[in-house]
Amino acid sequence: MSGKSITILGEAERHRLLQSPVDGSGLKLLLEAGLTWLRTNQQYVNSLNVFPVPDGDTGTNMVLTMQAAYDEVCQHQSLNVGEMAHSLAQGALMGARGNSGVILSQIWRGFARAMDHYETMDAALFVRALQESRNTAYKGVVKPVEGTILTVINDIAVEAENRLKEGDKLSDILVNIVETADESVKNTPELLPILKQAGVVDSGGKGLFFIFEGMLRLLQGNSLDTAIAEIKPLSALDLENALETIEEGQDYEVVIDFVPHSSLDLEDYYTNLTKIGTSIQVGEGDGMYRMHIHVPFENRYSPIDYTMELGTIQKVMMENLLDQVNNKKRDKDKIKLISVNPDEIAVVAVSPGHGLSRIFASLGVAAIVEGGQTMNPSVKEILAAFENLPTDKIIILPNNKNIQLAAEKAAAVTVKNVAVIPTRNTPQGFSALLRLMPNGELEENVEAMMEAIREVETGEITTATRTIEIDDVEVQKGQVIALLNGKLIASTQSIDEACIRLLEKAQVENYERITLFYGENMPLSHVNKIADWIQTTYPEHEVEIHEGGQAHYQLIVAIE
Amino acid sequence: MTDQINPLGNIYIFPQAIATIARQATLQSYGVISLAPKNLSESVKLFFNKKRPFGINVRADSSGLYIDIYIIVEYGMRIKSLTNSVANTVKYNIEKTIGMPVQRVNVHVRGLRISNPD
Repeated sequence: MSGKSITILGEAERHRLLQSPVDGSGLKLLLEAGLTWLRTNQQYVNSLNVFPVPDGDTGTNMVLTMQAAYDEVCQHQSLNVGEMAHSLAQGALMGARGNSGVILSQIWRGFARAMDHYETMDAALFVRALQESRNTAYKGVVKPVEGTILTVINDIAVEAENRLKEGDKLSDILVNIVETADESVKNTPELLPILKQAGVVDSGGKGLFFIFEGMLRLLQGNSLDTAIAEIKPLSALDLENALETIEEGQDYEVVIDFVPHSSLDLEDYYTNLTKIGTSIQVGEGDGMYRMHIHVPFENRYSPIDYTMELGTIQKVMMENLLDQVNNKKRDKDKIKLISVNPDEIAVVAVSPGHGLSRIFASLGVAAIVEGGQTMNPSVKEILAAFENLPTDKIIILPNNKNIQLAAEKAAAVTVKNVAVIPTRNTPQGFSALLRLMPNGELEENVEAMMEAIREVETGEITTATRTIEIDDVEVQKGQVIALLNGKLIASTQSIDEACIRLLEKAQVENYERITLFYGENMPLSHVNKIADWIQTTYPEHEVEIHEGGQAHYQLIVAIE
Repeated sequence: MTDQINPLGNIYIFPQAIATIARQATLQSYGVISLAPKNLSESVKLFFNKKRPFGINVRADSSGLYIDIYIIVEYGMRIKSLTNSVANTVKYNIEKTIGMPVQRVNVHVRGLRISNPD
């Protein structure tokens, strides 16, 4: 189940993790948190990579290694922490990628050796395991280079031991470890000159820090899927990408270089900046700071005024984003459609969302018409989509009951040879499209597609817009409703519950694969949670998540 | 032998010099315990001259450098990953220092050292 983020722990579970010695399942949770947090910060770690070879892959390598280790851990349902640690080490060993991955695998190998055959992990065992981690990691190299991940694990092991002597609990020790790791990482440029030259901290050490910090964030109930804002070296400022993820109300980009009068209270600085704008990044190098922010039109001078209070401004750069983004968006939103040859069959699909259009395009449609539940395209729009295609054989997938008629009218008006497949929703459209043989006869394509749309069950989850009773289901306005193949089957209070009822009603056990297409108003973290639930309830099924981007429907579920 | 042209004259860089860079990079690589004699003849020569460098072989042609490295590694690591790292580090360091393209780096694992049997 890679790529899904862990949800925040329930209070009870958190309490259990904090209070009692950690067992196998607790260790698994901690590892998942470490992995998730590392993955969230993967690009940042990559950007730091200058040693031993500046190939910018440390973060990726560490994530892949941790992922392999975690996958191995997931294979075992043992409650025994020693066995769990053993599979962790085994997975890390087999999946070790790159230099930092190999060192990480050694860290887990030492960790597992100390855990050997223990049922649960208490503070003393944890500390011993960290020391064993350090020892094993150092045995792997004749001339250890300090200022790397090795230094960080060493500092962690030393600090953990000191804390244990003072009688701290496991969770307190973790707090101190994270602090120490942070300090240790910050100090790496002093030990390894090449880092100082590049103006970065050590990437592997930072990666290890993120793993432990992820564990701590889990215990403290902090989210793991959004990277926190923090000071970065100048070279790591990713201003290009900041532009890509622009939101509404970000009219101007302001970049200010300044030297603070006295030492800068970053937290304060950040807090005040967030009141002015978004996409804040602050970088540091040689006593100079660079601040980047996106602000609405009326606030365009506020960052300058504010920063001027704190220091001497050296340079200000301002750009009108609306203008730039419009250009960028046009490029980005362009979906690449296949070009058809004369004599081949071209498919025209009606798509209700950008993500879905992308999938349609990847499956080989020749034209896309935007439209859905409340925005039915006109006959003219559908005609325009295929009139200019260089072939006479056209198949239309209306993907909505309300659009079918318009599609049929378009078919009647044109001189081209057009077939309309009565697909009532997007999943049916996808299934039909998978049967496309562009070089075959139109009739046999239609036949295959008609068969395909009967094989997929489609669920839709949306919010009721009025109070009504249909098919013996009572619905209040604002409730979440589930439809199966267009038929209302349940009204519930939450999306999760609607999903449960939908899958039950669809008799999902008779099928193999469940695909979720989430809409524009549905957060990914919520979809991930649902997907995780489905995976646990139906472990035999394949579960996939795609961004659909459709309006109105929070989820479209394809069951096949 | 590996020569570069300079307006004032030729620059010759001998394989031994390149081998030194390769050796340094190899020994700093994670997981490498030591270099190893590449064959019996090298072992015998080593017997008579303990200070003789060994375990690295450098060849060059017009297209670039070909490097062979013979090493002993620590038991208990994914050898594929760590040898990959060795090859990358050696290539990077030589190209950075000498400025000649490295065409191949062959890494030969001659033995394993077991410090933690688990």
